[in-house]
Amino acid sequence: MAEDVLTPITQAMNEGALSRRELKRLMRRSNVPGLVHLAFWMLAMIGTGFLVWLSMGSWWIIPAMFVHGILMVHHFSLQHECVHYTAFRTRWLNEIIGNYCGIVIMLPNKFFRYEHCDHHTYTQLTGKDPELIELPIGLADYLRYISSFPYWKAKFSELGRHAAGRLSESERRFIPKEEHKAVFWEARAMAALYAAILLASAWADWWGAVWYWWLPVFMGEPVMRAIRMTEHVGRPNIRDMKENTRTNLVTTPMRLLCWNMNYHAEHHYASSVPFHALPKLHKKLEGYIFVENRGYLGAHIDIISQIIGRAPRSDS
Amino acid sequence: MTRTRQWRDLVAIADLEPGDATPVSLGTRELAVYDTVDGVFVSFARCTHGAANLCDGYFDGRYIECPLHQGLFDARTGEAKAAPATRKLRMIEARVKDGIVQVLIS
Repeated sequence: MAEDVLTPITQAMNEGALSRRELKRLMRRSNVPGLVHLAFWMLAMIGTGFLVWLSMGSWWIIPAMFVHGILMVHHFSLQHECVHYTAFRTRWLNEIIGNYCGIVIMLPNKFFRYEHCDHHTYTQLTGKDPELIELPIGLADYLRYISSFPYWKAKFSELGRHAAGRLSESERRFIPKEEHKAVFWEARAMAALYAAILLASAWADWWGAVWYWWLPVFMGEPVMRAIRMTEHVGRPNIRDMKENTRTNLVTTPMRLLCWNMNYHAEHHYASSVPFHALPKLHKKLEGYIFVENRGYLGAHIDIISQIIGRAPRSDS
Repeated sequence: MTRTRQWRDLVAIADLEPGDATPVSLGTRELAVYDTVDGVFVSFARCTHGAANLCDGYFDGRYIECPLHQGLFDARTGEAKAAPATRKLRMIEARVKDGIVQVLIS
């Protein structure tokens, strides 16, 4: 039934927390904030890349690659904004930058777009939300998730499956059939590009891609996993966006790094609002959505409290 | 028996979202009224791909983006412009008379 189709602003409209006009004003897109943000963010990444270069040949390379990796894995935040087409006003800019980010972190852009659309439609609903991260059953499970091994295992299997022209049952549900072939070719192109870079590196005997890109991404991914956990893990598995998502108040550098995606409850409440308008939406929704004032650390204290039984489990 | 089409009042221009898409009901029909750079256009409001109401989507004066999967339509012609939208929108002939948007409909 057409009436059942929820859009990213359905709940906000139904509850009247914002008028349609207010929401549409917040939804306005612009190229300027995204391009300025991108320029500073790239400069920061060049800076951390320079640290890796400086520390070559010493043990300092390990912390340097870790710091560089933290910035590198935040390509996810920009790609996330691009799949919503809200990073920039110009649609093809979102496509190009989104695909670039996807290549950096091995997350094919078109596939992620459709997966992420379904995540917004079925946020936190067990068995339906394709991005749902279950509340870990114990501390070992919690650490295993943060280690990123399960994440990379899933991502490599996903890429292989799509490159082979196959989809899982749940992927068949959320990828429109008109786009199946495009998703397969996207995975093949990505796999071919990685293979070409590897071969070119071996031929030239220059391993910059490993030192400045792949190793830092693998080293930084646990930080991204820990951040991703703070968005929904430990929140109830219900449809209400005011309850199922957590906003984390974090420091300005972290906010810049994640393209304001710490305002996650606001983002889920009205996901068509661009990153640069989320602080305004945050003010409008003050007291209405769930906010963790202690930031990412507070969110993990909450998650661990639930895991060790000091607080009731959100999934019980 | 064929039903004849006639011009029917839909919504006052003053009640439209300026430069945006406005949801309007006409009987059981859900319509979208677009205040485009080339004038006012009207279509059935549901996306031809996933049936989401297009009025909840982003409109730039020319193209309406589906809020659900970001498929794209030209609001002036109904043409599908970006995947996953492939089938064009059903447009309804519209005109503005005495400050009222009217549609030619049975």
